[in-house]
Amino acid sequence: MKQKIKFKGTKFLIVVITIYIIIGFIDFNGAINSFLNTLSVLNNIWPLFIFIILLTTAINYFLKPKHIMKHLGEDSGKKGVIYALIGGIISHGPMYAWYGVLDELRNNGAKDELLIIFLYARAIKIPMIPFSISVFGTPFTIAISLYILIFAILQGKLFTYLNNKFYK
Amino acid sequence: MDIDNNSNHLKKSFFKGLNSFIAITPMLLGVLLLLGLFQNYITTEMLKTLFGFNTLSDILAGTLFGSISSGHPITSYIISEELIDSGVSLYAASAFVLAWVTLGIIQLPAELSVFGLKFTILKNLLTLLSTLLIAYLSVLTIQVF
Repeated sequence: MKQKIKFKGTKFLIVVITIYIIIGFIDFNGAINSFLNTLSVLNNIWPLFIFIILLTTAINYFLKPKHIMKHLGEDSGKKGVIYALIGGIISHGPMYAWYGVLDELRNNGAKDELLIIFLYARAIKIPMIPFSISVFGTPFTIAISLYILIFAILQGKLFTYLNNKFYK
Repeated sequence: MDIDNNSNHLKKSFFKGLNSFIAITPMLLGVLLLLGLFQNYITTEMLKTLFGFNTLSDILAGTLFGSISSGHPITSYIISEELIDSGVSLYAASAFVLAWVTLGIIQLPAELSVFGLKFTILKNLLTLLSTLLIAYLSVLTIQVF
């Protein structure tokens, strides 16, 4: 039952803490204000972290690796693309909060092309559409949303092509 | 027997989910701390000075501005409105909004630690290219129609 946790980003965290310590010596108040900014962001997004843990639990509970392979794996076809697009559009919160879920899906057989599509489709945010319309207008909002969908798919395809050409 | 199995499976799934979240906490903390630094030292006024030269440089500046900024997407629309009102082109404002949600210089190290070098480089190059093209094509499209 006990699993050894393999931490990710430890070196990165050490580098950032070192930067804070250096800045603290030069501009103590600046370092404190930066840290307070961090706490304020954390205060806003912690509910999302709980949602992410519950979503990962649901993925582990309901989906077996063979299901993930079927819907998001190598042979998922157009259905996989549609799932990735819809998933990207309806996902909320900052991108980095989703890395854990995507890593889990990837480890269970989801293909990189669909992760790329998911990550770009996140540029369409349904709750933000009224703001987009008020700033840019309806025709622009429709145009940019369609381009985002098209380029999300193109990016996925190009990623697979370049990956096969240069890394295999 | 079945209920026991299900509750065991649920417990296992929960701890697996919890552990995978705990595994990325150093990465998340690093991103959040870096975000705090950027919010404190890089101001909107500083970044506004990058605009107003030509279409290409405006798109590039919008993309750069968006990719080093952070926060709730609603903030990107508020800043965009401010930019447009102060005479910055629609090309720059749309590149800015798009880069805000798709590119993130702050989260690059985190992305690297989760997905690896190859995935991160390719993904970000393609995202950068798409953002530049979409900003240009979207404005062009509404001018044509």
